[in-house]
Amino acid sequence: MGMTRGFLITALFGVVLFVLIPVYVPRPSFIPGFAPPPDMWPRAISILGMVLGLLLLGLSLSKKTQAIADPEDASEIRGDTPLPTLLLRFGWSVLAFALFVGAVMLLGFLLASMLLLIVMLVLTGYWRHKWVSLMVAVALPLLLYLFFSSALNTRFPTGSLLRALGV
Amino acid sequence: MLNDLLIAFQAVATLENFLIMAAGIWGGVIIGAIPGMTGTMAVTLALPFTFYMQPIPSILLLVALYKGSTYGGSVSAILIKTPGTASAACTTLDGYPLARQGKAGKALNMALYSSCTGDFISNISLIFIAAPLALLALRIGPPEYFMLMVFALTTVAGVSGRSLLLGLVSACMGLLLATVGEDMYGSFRFDLTVDMQSGLAVAPVLIGLFAIPELLKIVVFRNTESHKPMQLGDNKVTRAELRRSLKSMLKGSMIGVVMGAIPGIGPSAAAFSSYGEAQRSSRNRDNFGKGEVEGIAASESANNGCCGSTMIPLLALGVPGDVITGVMLGAFMIHGMTPGPMLFENNLNEVYMLFIGMLFSSVLLFGAGKATMRFFSHIARIPPGLMAPIVLILCLFGIFSISNSMYDVIVLLAMGVFGFFMFLFAIPAAPFLIAFILGPMLEENLRRALAISRGDPSILVSSPITWLFASLAVFVVVITIRQQLKKAKA
Repeated sequence: MGMTRGFLITALFGVVLFVLIPVYVPRPSFIPGFAPPPDMWPRAISILGMVLGLLLLGLSLSKKTQAIADPEDASEIRGDTPLPTLLLRFGWSVLAFALFVGAVMLLGFLLASMLLLIVMLVLTGYWRHKWVSLMVAVALPLLLYLFFSSALNTRFPTGSLLRALGV
Repeated sequence: MLNDLLIAFQAVATLENFLIMAAGIWGGVIIGAIPGMTGTMAVTLALPFTFYMQPIPSILLLVALYKGSTYGGSVSAILIKTPGTASAACTTLDGYPLARQGKAGKALNMALYSSCTGDFISNISLIFIAAPLALLALRIGPPEYFMLMVFALTTVAGVSGRSLLLGLVSACMGLLLATVGEDMYGSFRFDLTVDMQSGLAVAPVLIGLFAIPELLKIVVFRNTESHKPMQLGDNKVTRAELRRSLKSMLKGSMIGVVMGAIPGIGPSAAAFSSYGEAQRSSRNRDNFGKGEVEGIAASESANNGCCGSTMIPLLALGVPGDVITGVMLGAFMIHGMTPGPMLFENNLNEVYMLFIGMLFSSVLLFGAGKATMRFFSHIARIPPGLMAPIVLILCLFGIFSISNSMYDVIVLLAMGVFGFFMFLFAIPAAPFLIAFILGPMLEENLRRALAISRGDPSILVSSPITWLFASLAVFVVVITIRQQLKKAKA
């Protein structure tokens, strides 16, 4: 894992330094006094990040120093579950998050939250307690919706589909 | 000062403030008692609610949650051998063996007495140390501030996780993310979308980074084993046991105060140091790890002893010592108060009200702990598979309510996924968050210092104070590398 991590960190800061900063951090034509330009700080951090990434990469090549940079936290709880299963579960979660954002525009915040809660309960494996899960999935978002909209006057999105249906 | 404290006492002693503090303590104890739910999470989840409150009650709520969760962490540590918070890990060593012996009540009571003692001593220290330190801090300028923050970041990077390099990488990521949006001279940076011109708010970033990865861990690794809680059993702590533990309790409180006041050290390190010291100096050292009440007293007094003193660098210097005080820094700023030496000039009344409120909360902690001891054993049984999705929904509603914008919700979810990747690659989250919060101040002070010196970087090492902080930062780096090399050899 050490090499992959070192490579990814170097690549991340490299992309920021060579791609994002030139495009998204414009230098103003006039800088008052001796004030450093706006790209000075992000550049300095990106260079430091790249150096650290390269250092991690270098350390991962030597077994002696590998232990300093390689705590291996995640592997401790991974157990024997095959990697494709883990990736699939992760993929489903990210998809659920993305669909939630889309569903808010269509179904509104309340319904989308209920659906997301059901999906997450299925993904955590708690869905086997169907009745408890269903009750929580309906009651919790509803209570929060009522609390925030009445007590704090929050205007949650109602969703274009529900608006079209006149709900 | 005494007169100011009395006026503050009158202002704080209202039913509304007591109810807020009691709710905070109680909520904190419950959240702290649930494995996987941390004090950081409790404080961050409450942050959106404080937007609608007065400044002092909102800070008191966050402080109460912090204190409550620090104690609450010991409940599941004692009952189910699962520390609710990292700082309670040390309490497991003697708490769980005592619970196995049918003396869970005794262990919980000792944890409560020690927590309250440590907390009270810590609050007193805060009252007497913060103001003089703030006066001293008035004499320091941008270069000194910059070096102080570099020192704080280095310390946090060094003690969070097991690798200094990964801590520094994490801090760099946080600093970089903090540059998104408008800078101090009005230039927009990394504005990939129009929303990003306003930058990233603290609340969605920190909640996303800490709460969402817990859910993803449960989903991906399905690590949801349930634990059977212990019965409370023998409840009383005898007078002899209390007398025997008093020395460790006081020593632990002082260790907590000192270690809590140093940015980045925090309650976990304090608890283990205090436990080690108690074991070294105790007559019953052979019983440590087998159910020794003195061990619980040492660790719990030290971790709660940090609660007040972590506010010292925050209030006096404007530098958060850990993630929780980082969140509190955000809360202060939301209410138009900037922690640091000027806080003692501009908002002295509010500072004294905060001090008094914190003393009250020590007493409330005792009451809440006593009243709800039996109830906690049930709370600790909530399966993570149910709890984590509930927390996600709480986060979504809370974050949306802050700005009425889906942009913050998207930031929350994106930061959650990013936080999960950080976990996968063993990159600690604490330096990221501290760096994200300190980033704008760090940059501002650096750019100001360079503007003052007409671009000469030697201004950063031009005074004894900058030298002091620079030397301390180097010292921390050297010590951490030495320790990690030793561990690697072993």
